[in-house]
Amino acid sequence: MLEQLLIFTRGGLILWTCKELGNALRGSPIDTLIRSCLLEERSGAASYNYDAPGASYTLKWTFHNELGLVFVAVYQRILHLLYVDDLLSMIKQEFSAIYDPKRTSYNDFDDIFQQLKKEAEARAEEMKKSKQLGKHVNNNLGRKQGQVQNGSVDGGSKKKSGGESGNDGGDGDKSRGRPLENGNLRNNHVGKGEVPAMVNANGKENEASKTGAFDLNKLQKFRSKAAKKTETVVNKVPKEEPNKKITKKNRVWDDSPKESKLDFTDPVSENGEQNISVVAADEGESMMDKEEIISSDSESEEEETRKDSNVDSKKKGWFSSMFQSIAGKANLQKSDLEPALKALKDGLMTKNVAEEIAEKLCESVAASLEGKRLASFTRITSTVQAAMEEALVRILTPRRSIDILRDVHAAKEQGKPYVVVFVGVNGVGKSTNLAKVAYWLLQHNVNVMMAACDTFRSGAVEQLRTHARRLQIPIFEKGYEKDPAIVAKEAIQEASRNGSDVVLVDTAGRMQDNEPLMRTLSKLIYVNSPDLVLFVGEALVGNDAVDQLSKFNQKLGDLSPSPDPRLIDGILLTKFDTIDDKVGAALSMVYISGAPVMFVGCGQSYTDLKKLNVKSIVKALLKLEVSRLMICRS
Amino acid sequence: MDKEKIGELKIQLQQLLNEAQEFVQRIPPLQLYAAIGVVVFTIFLLLVIRLFKRRSANTILLTGLSGSGKTVLFYQLRDGSFHQGTVTSMEPNEGTFILNSETSKKGKINPVHIVDVPGHSRLRPKLDEFLSQAAGIVFVVDAVEFLPNVRAASEYLYDILTKASVVKKKIPLLLLCNKVDKVTAHTKDFIRRQLEKEIDKLRASRTALSSADVTNEYTLGLPGEAFVFSQCHNKVTVAEASGLTSDISQLEQFIREYVKA
Repeated sequence: MLEQLLIFTRGGLILWTCKELGNALRGSPIDTLIRSCLLEERSGAASYNYDAPGASYTLKWTFHNELGLVFVAVYQRILHLLYVDDLLSMIKQEFSAIYDPKRTSYNDFDDIFQQLKKEAEARAEEMKKSKQLGKHVNNNLGRKQGQVQNGSVDGGSKKKSGGESGNDGGDGDKSRGRPLENGNLRNNHVGKGEVPAMVNANGKENEASKTGAFDLNKLQKFRSKAAKKTETVVNKVPKEEPNKKITKKNRVWDDSPKESKLDFTDPVSENGEQNISVVAADEGESMMDKEEIISSDSESEEEETRKDSNVDSKKKGWFSSMFQSIAGKANLQKSDLEPALKALKDGLMTKNVAEEIAEKLCESVAASLEGKRLASFTRITSTVQAAMEEALVRILTPRRSIDILRDVHAAKEQGKPYVVVFVGVNGVGKSTNLAKVAYWLLQHNVNVMMAACDTFRSGAVEQLRTHARRLQIPIFEKGYEKDPAIVAKEAIQEASRNGSDVVLVDTAGRMQDNEPLMRTLSKLIYVNSPDLVLFVGEALVGNDAVDQLSKFNQKLGDLSPSPDPRLIDGILLTKFDTIDDKVGAALSMVYISGAPVMFVGCGQSYTDLKKLNVKSIVKALLKLEVSRLMICRS
Repeated sequence: MDKEKIGELKIQLQQLLNEAQEFVQRIPPLQLYAAIGVVVFTIFLLLVIRLFKRRSANTILLTGLSGSGKTVLFYQLRDGSFHQGTVTSMEPNEGTFILNSETSKKGKINPVHIVDVPGHSRLRPKLDEFLSQAAGIVFVVDAVEFLPNVRAASEYLYDILTKASVVKKKIPLLLLCNKVDKVTAHTKDFIRRQLEKEIDKLRASRTALSSADVTNEYTLGLPGEAFVFSQCHNKVTVAEASGLTSDISQLEQFIREYVKA
């Protein structure tokens, strides 16, 4: 049974709610839906789950883009109602017939709603009955071919009937997972081999064969993962032993004379005492404080010339589309938007945006434009591009304040040090950018302290020690092979003792799939509860950005012993100077995690730290799209 | 081949021009002058009307954090009731109308153009589109849930007060404490003092930074002294209102002060 059905305008006024289903909703599901889904450009998704203390709802929605209306249905998650999508589209049609922008109360809609609801429920009942008949046929076929196959077929058909809700699919997978754990790998293989044979028998079985193939892949993944885990654990132990025993012999590549000295570090004693006084590094103003001058004129000229050159190519298509654009087309359909959106998606992907993200963005833009009436003298491509630009600006605009100095001052007033933890995979530039952030903070008269919690990588502690010496700030380190969580805890205590305002904690790089390392990381975060968890990601990453961030967030959430786990609060984008205009990684990371980009590292010296300039990124992402759009004319 | 075609076109154009000239010469001169006069006059009228429109800005902006009650106030001003409730706005609500309380007055009243800008942080850029035509800004603050949101509110208010268009045109700002019908609502003086304190702190940290998307082009207040709203170049006043109980008289007073009836 539906809990609630709302119709409201995009401006926020509720036009109609169903009066019979008058149960007050727990929490505020509608506002949360708007804030975390529709405004986050995820309106292409099928549904949204909302959990409040005492209730868990699923919300489904549809838009009427021409009139600017939103229709939302709320129901309990445990009930898998099948008629909701149907009902929403019928209501949309009926309501848009009686909608008037001046009217604000629609009490006559109640009767129409009751009618539509009964119709939709009846239709859903019919569909359920016909599906059950189909299920019986499948079962009969299965019984002929033996037990294991039967199990997989039932799983397959279960998936089909509950096709709309992901939960049933999850159950199907679990039932298949159990025989895996018992070691009956061969049986499962045989079972899946037989299933495709039955495909020919029944057209509906096609889905079952697909799910069979999917699980085969999952099976292989499981095996390889298990093998990987044992490997990494084994490798860790012997690596740390020969650290100090073997001295490195110089490798001779050609006939050049042998170099005698490899080690260029200053002759400083082991515990960091300064024999030679080092001048504090002063390289001028950090780029964070410099304004960026955006030259917009030259870019627009380039676009114009490209436009003109491509107009001549297709005269016939141009004429008909010009005619359409002058007359103004009635109601954009999805098929009209498709070529323009596909061109945009390809364009985004050439700018190094992850494929999944580009897809979701295009779906969201399509959802917001479908059914809209084209104003006269506009082309479809320009409408789509304008909508995409707006969506991109909206995603990249930070949701919360990224003013770190203000947070530092606030923590200072409370008498606690402000703790920042740098996390990320291997080799993205955590230690380098940590030094850059320390330099920037120093320029604003903040007392910084570094904590060397990377106790794994050889040279990590020495690297930080060198930076600390150059910047003349204290560093807390305990050497190698210590528990990073405890080192961090002691560092924070030391900071509150010696009056440091900020503690920058460096951690070891780790792959997002590595379970034991992620566990140690979540322990570090849980024990020390830092003020800012900064994910360091490089701008060169492609589709892996999505995997890295989502897995990091997931592991931090799952493996944390507290009920309210800390997730990633901000992103630090590094190696930005190596990509010219393929800036898509920024978009992928912000979209998948919802965290704002707080810093951008654009070089390897202390001053190379900037803030993210939203407008220039959006411009870079959408440039060169004009030529592509010209070719795919509507 | 092409040259021949161009030549032919040229000849055709010439012929057309000649025909047009003959046609024009055939019309009696009086009619011709009359026609030209009408065209020039209409163009002149349009330009004058456009100039007049720009001079009297009659837009009032309703802004503030998400959830402070702007959409409710908008509909109170327009219709006298907030109908069946509101949700988080995704788009601005615009309307040019006579305030609901004044519909009973007789005589011609100047309608007001009111814009309710969404408060969600992702939609902040929309405010800039309307600032150029604003005659007054109303910053709505939730008086009940004030303290948990004081930082976000003060940051937004600081951003608005330091925008170039607001400072140069000295757009008056009304700090409206909404939801005062609730028992746990704070007083307007308390809210004013808290905001002044927070903005003072912001001044210190913001002048140290200049971000790449520079919107804070001016600094507030006098250096060395604690910040007070009276130090702003534009006039800042404080008032109370309650959207749910239609207690919006102070808001209407402000609107009518700057958009003459």
